[in-house]
Amino acid sequence: MQLDVTEEDARIVVTVGDARIDAAVAIAFKDKVREIVLRKSKPVVMDMHNVDFMDSSGLGAMIAVRKALPEAMPLTLRGLTPNVERVFRLTRMDMVFDISPNDNSELQ
Amino acid sequence: MTPTEWQNASTEGEVAVGRRPMFHRVLRAHPATVRDTLIAIRGRFHGQISEDTLGRLELVLAEVMNNVAKHAGPRPVSAGEVPGAEGAPLIHLCIVQHDTGLSCAVTDDGVSVPDDCLLPRDLPQAETDNLPEGGFGWYLIQDLTQALCYYREHKRNFLAFCVPFTVSQRPLY
Repeated sequence: MQLDVTEEDARIVVTVGDARIDAAVAIAFKDKVREIVLRKSKPVVMDMHNVDFMDSSGLGAMIAVRKALPEAMPLTLRGLTPNVERVFRLTRMDMVFDISPNDNSELQ
Repeated sequence: MTPTEWQNASTEGEVAVGRRPMFHRVLRAHPATVRDTLIAIRGRFHGQISEDTLGRLELVLAEVMNNVAKHAGPRPVSAGEVPGAEGAPLIHLCIVQHDTGLSCAVTDDGVSVPDDCLLPRDLPQAETDNLPEGGFGWYLIQDLTQALCYYREHKRNFLAFCVPFTVSQRPLY
């Protein structure tokens, strides 16, 4: 599980390095991200542009991370690839998470 | 007609036997083996079908096969198996490309699928202070497939469905 953490003044940016958040890694992913975001106690931006596959176990891990944070603490997701965006959309979890729209110029 | 002539016959007088990729694999139901299989499927169909269809196919099969792995009961272990996958149910997977989509057949010798998994279902209730962390799998399977059917025979589950190339809007109930 590859997670790069960049700490800025007002927030931390967690970039997921793995290409897949699936049943094989969901529990490890959840535990590791939860530990990072709780230790820093700052708004979190999670960059998922490297992730090209996520299943419902991965979604469950993301929800567990959101629930671990205080409700008022922002968790923003950015860089969602089409396969990851689909899972959030079909389960309507796109209404629960704060998802930054992709800037198409960055995808080129 | 001979069997070969019969296979090659079509209304246009051309060879009807397509040269479309298929996929078949027998695997132990374990998250690592499931992942390897999904990557192999991606390799097999890449460039043949749209990325959108491939993404939906991959998600459905991940949910189906990981369900088998997750709900597998204790089973006897036999020698020489994948570490961590010993004794897991054996999945047989077959994917065939048609004009309108991909037909999938998945069988396994795990525990039987509870009836309510196959009944039309809604998303788990999402309350802001108590979000569900699971229960999405069968919803996604039902949402992304057509002609989903299931039966159990001689200690095996048989699940068949189609992943269509184009998605029509799901009817609102």
